[in-house]
Amino acid sequence: MSHAHIAAHIDRHAYTNALAKKSPTTKICYAFSALFLSVLSPTPIVPLIVFTVSGILILRFAKIPTHFYLHALYYLTIVTAVSSLIIALFFGYGQPLAELVTPWFTWTIYRNGASTAIYTFARVEGATSAVYFLVLTTSMTNIFITLRKVRIPKILVEMSLLIYRYIFVFIEISAKMQTAQVLRAGTSGWIRRIRSTALLAGNLFIRTLDQGERTFTAMNARGYDGNIRVLEDLPKPRITALAAIAVFDALLVIAALLTMNFGVV
Amino acid sequence: MLFRLENLSHRYSDGTLALNDVSLSFAKGERIALLGTNGSGKTTLLNHLNGILKPTSGKIFYEDKPLQYNAKSLLELRKRVGFVFQDPNDQLFAPTVKQDVAFGPLNLGQPVEEVKKIVDEALRTVGMAEFAEKPPHFLSFGQKKRVALAGVLAMQPEVIIMDEPTSNLDPRATSDILHLLLKLNKEKEITLLLATHDVDMVPLFANKLYILGKGKLVSDGSPKELFSDTETIRNVNLRSPRITHLFEVLKKENNLPIDDQLPLTIGEARKEILRLIKTEM
Repeated sequence: MSHAHIAAHIDRHAYTNALAKKSPTTKICYAFSALFLSVLSPTPIVPLIVFTVSGILILRFAKIPTHFYLHALYYLTIVTAVSSLIIALFFGYGQPLAELVTPWFTWTIYRNGASTAIYTFARVEGATSAVYFLVLTTSMTNIFITLRKVRIPKILVEMSLLIYRYIFVFIEISAKMQTAQVLRAGTSGWIRRIRSTALLAGNLFIRTLDQGERTFTAMNARGYDGNIRVLEDLPKPRITALAAIAVFDALLVIAALLTMNFGVV
Repeated sequence: MLFRLENLSHRYSDGTLALNDVSLSFAKGERIALLGTNGSGKTTLLNHLNGILKPTSGKIFYEDKPLQYNAKSLLELRKRVGFVFQDPNDQLFAPTVKQDVAFGPLNLGQPVEEVKKIVDEALRTVGMAEFAEKPPHFLSFGQKKRVALAGVLAMQPEVIIMDEPTSNLDPRATSDILHLLLKLNKEKEITLLLATHDVDMVPLFANKLYILGKGKLVSDGSPKELFSDTETIRNVNLRSPRITHLFEVLKKENNLPIDDQLPLTIGEARKEILRLIKTEM
């Protein structure tokens, strides 16, 4: 699966998963609080709990296929694991944890380097799972409408709304252009491939300007006056769900406080 | 007259004279086809009818009042004259089908509860109700076209203008759209104006035909009259419907006693063949 493919699949799940009809406010509250607590937590326990809970919500409640979720996590986990390994190997000072002795040199892994690596890995995984929960269960439309409600500047929301719609149009257009290039041997050889990609990018840019013009005309034809109005008929958040999230967040804070002084390694 | 165009000309800023002294008019409830090749000025003409373009010279009247180009009059005009664009991707900008269809009526200031009802009905009319919550990129081209039409229907217009309504559609989708338009014309008395170069579709749909060539109005009349005048049709690089062409050849080359008014549709051809067989016997 290419990245564009994963994005398209995520988008499709967002509209069709078992939690799609639930209040976006609730889902946003869970995702953002879990994200912030994961990142701010001084111990890896909190992100690990978030990772587990998000995983259960995504797989059991939203019924996202397990192989897809694992696939979506896969690249990021590898990148994070490599970065964490580098942190463990090259950073840190003070108390050594382990020493690798070779005839030529001695490599020291420090205690605080190793624990930073574990924190980093846990934080990234926890934060990612919280964000995945949001994007896999909540359609962009519902996120936009909720953002409008909480007074995020209109211009930002309206821009994102148009960008979201036309990303998919331009994915299609660029794929077609690329096929056309391949068919006329535009990607044979490294230099030519770079040239073709540059041409494609330039062309795509011109197409976006053109598309903007035409969309604007079409919007005018339906009475656009500078405001994009949307129907705001979202499911209301249930108080019990919001309360459950508050309790969960409180437990995370308590867990963080309790485990703050335990060293990991 | 619902629409009246008097000596309309339009010159684009690059100097191209896209419309040259076009005068035409049509009444409420008519089904008009504007026929012409690519680049004949069809789209430019359509773009004048709901105020997207302003004429360089000449006048446009809607219900005998000249068009005004201030925001308020334009909104009023656009409520009454709906425009379905050729490429539905130009028109569908909202993240879901429902939001897109709601855009027009919300702009007209309709109350939210009313808009929901209107959106529902418009989507049901075009047969897309089950896709209401879907984003446009989940839909096929034909489905997008129908949603674009629903977006215009939701504004409850008196006139619907469609630019190439059947281009890029498969035969089934073409026939669906045509039947839908005919139904709207019949049941809601919506005046229809279609720009097209699909000559086989025109006789099935239109009661009035305008032929445009190089920005000029070449000819107008009923499809029967115009398609019998094969000379004019060919001069503007169009052709007769296939079935008409067949009868023209049979008449000219094989001297069959075919009526001067050549059949334009399968139904008419069938009648003519049956008549010929009867006279033979």
